Amino acid sequence: MSTKTPAAPAAELAKKPPRPSGSKKLFRKVEPYIWIAPSIILMAIFIVTPIVKVFQLSLSDVSRAGKIKGFNGLENFTKVLKSPAFSLVLKNTIVWTIAVVVLSTILGFMLALVLNNKFRGRKVARAIVVFPWATTLVIQASAWNFIINKDYGTLNTLLMKLGFISAPVNWTPTPGAYFTWEIACGIFVTIPFVTFCVLSGLQSIDASYYEAATVDGAGYFQKLFSITLPLVKSSLTVATVLNIIYVFNSFPIIWTMTKGDPANYTDTLVTYLYKLAFYNGKQGETSAVSVIGFVILLICASVYMIYTLRKGDDDL
Amino acid sequence: MSQPANAVKKPVSIKKTILRVLLYFVVLDVCVITLYPYFAMLCTALKNRVEIFSGDTVLPVVPLWSNFIDIWSRAPMAKYMLNSVLIAGGSTIIAMLCGIPAAYALARMKFKGQTAFLGFVIVSQMFAPVVLLIGIYQVMQRLGLTDNILGLIFINAAFNQAFTIWLLRGTFMGISAEMEQAATIDGCTRVQSMMKVLLPVAAPGIVTTLIFIFINAWNEYTVALCLISTDTYKPLTVGINTFNGYNMIEWQYLFAASIFAIVPVVILFMCIEKNLVSGLASGGVKG
Repeated sequence: MSTKTPAAPAAELAKKPPRPSGSKKLFRKVEPYIWIAPSIILMAIFIVTPIVKVFQLSLSDVSRAGKIKGFNGLENFTKVLKSPAFSLVLKNTIVWTIAVVVLSTILGFMLALVLNNKFRGRKVARAIVVFPWATTLVIQASAWNFIINKDYGTLNTLLMKLGFISAPVNWTPTPGAYFTWEIACGIFVTIPFVTFCVLSGLQSIDASYYEAATVDGAGYFQKLFSITLPLVKSSLTVATVLNIIYVFNSFPIIWTMTKGDPANYTDTLVTYLYKLAFYNGKQGETSAVSVIGFVILLICASVYMIYTLRKGDDDL
Repeated sequence: MSQPANAVKKPVSIKKTILRVLLYFVVLDVCVITLYPYFAMLCTALKNRVEIFSGDTVLPVVPLWSNFIDIWSRAPMAKYMLNSVLIAGGSTIIAMLCGIPAAYALARMKFKGQTAFLGFVIVSQMFAPVVLLIGIYQVMQRLGLTDNILGLIFINAAFNQAFTIWLLRGTFMGISAEMEQAATIDGCTRVQSMMKVLLPVAAPGIVTTLIFIFINAWNEYTVALCLISTDTYKPLTVGINTFNGYNMIEWQYLFAASIFAIVPVVILFMCIEKNLVSGLASGGVKG
């Protein structure tokens, strides 16, 4: 599935038809577009139209029912930026994204190194590690919400039974503590994705590199930094960029655990946006928040695009 | 897969033994922590309400298996289940029908706008449905697809196009085009050569993609939460919140229902775990 055959076959095929017949030639030109048409139509209706709609709404005066009453320039944006909750929400979003992505990348990478060793029960361990990835986030979040409950949560019960604590601990005394648990839950569900991306990179590394390095007397960390890291860099980059997008846009964990309460203390951009749209009916401002979200992500994605395009040049 | 990279043979030493013990210790810890929420869910699903809210026991005193039966009458679980299957299955079919030709064109043909199309596919990943909810809602209203399973099928199919194309393109590009060329020379049309030659060879990659989309659609929550208001149209992910009421959470039922939502997906995921990641990586690196 992942051998090294870049664009060569495609190029060969494209050069192949030397027949000069006119209508055939025209068909050859149009053909690829017929092949991609269904996909384009599907995405145009259900992704592009909503995108256009959101941009349009963000610049309009919108009634509660969602009717556009007129153009009002950047007023929605200034309203959003001026609201006191927004800076808190933006700060939460940044903390949430960075904390989850950075910590899950480090932990996921370390776990991949561990699982890459040969040991008894490796298959079982890998199957277990994949669990959180496959479980829907709402359920994961509900489970953690139950576990850390201060009155009857199983974490307290378990720790008391094991004798680590003598009285129930209030795990969530402040909104900040609750937010930290949400981040922990986010990390927990993100690690498997990173681990498996890195594992795939690790498994494609030729063992002879390590043998040569061992012969040369390189230590574990020397091998890690001068062989392993550079060679899994590309898998790690793909994983990280996708993660930034997913984590930034992650809704169910926070929605299930706190709904962003109390008073926006645990809100991120997406939960704030949901409330603004479906609780407060402020569709214009919601769209403005969406657009601000795009802009932030666009910066990340362009970095990614530049990276992969440059990478592609290196390959050819 | 069976050849870990740094398995260099060395005589057994004390250091080696310590490392081995440490390795098992770490792996065991990771597994225990990973499984803990599932363990907690299962135990809770087998308790009665009094026992849960007393918070005195870890394991249920007497396992109450009837909770797993009760949920089917306390909420339209069968409907939720059916809806989830319909939504996940429907979106998988549509995503594949649109995605296979597109991935084929990207892997086997050269055309103007190829890079632009691929770029759009990547960028579309950035627009998670949750950020576009307002726009999606209005479009669905226009199409009369709010509070409709068909609407969710289309949305899931569309937002999974990027992955479908990405994974399949990687798969197709990893397969030499020679066989198809030979088939074409023998008089096969392009469609025939794709169906008869490429697709069978690409089957593992296609199955991986298929299952992955199915899982994504099965686990989708946000759009369903926003678009579906009729109880009997809800998928499992939204439906199970029936037990998560405003004044009283019925944990035992919530978790019993959750287990029904988790098990099929975890099994499917374990089947594709190995292929999925190599697919992601190859598609990504070749971007």
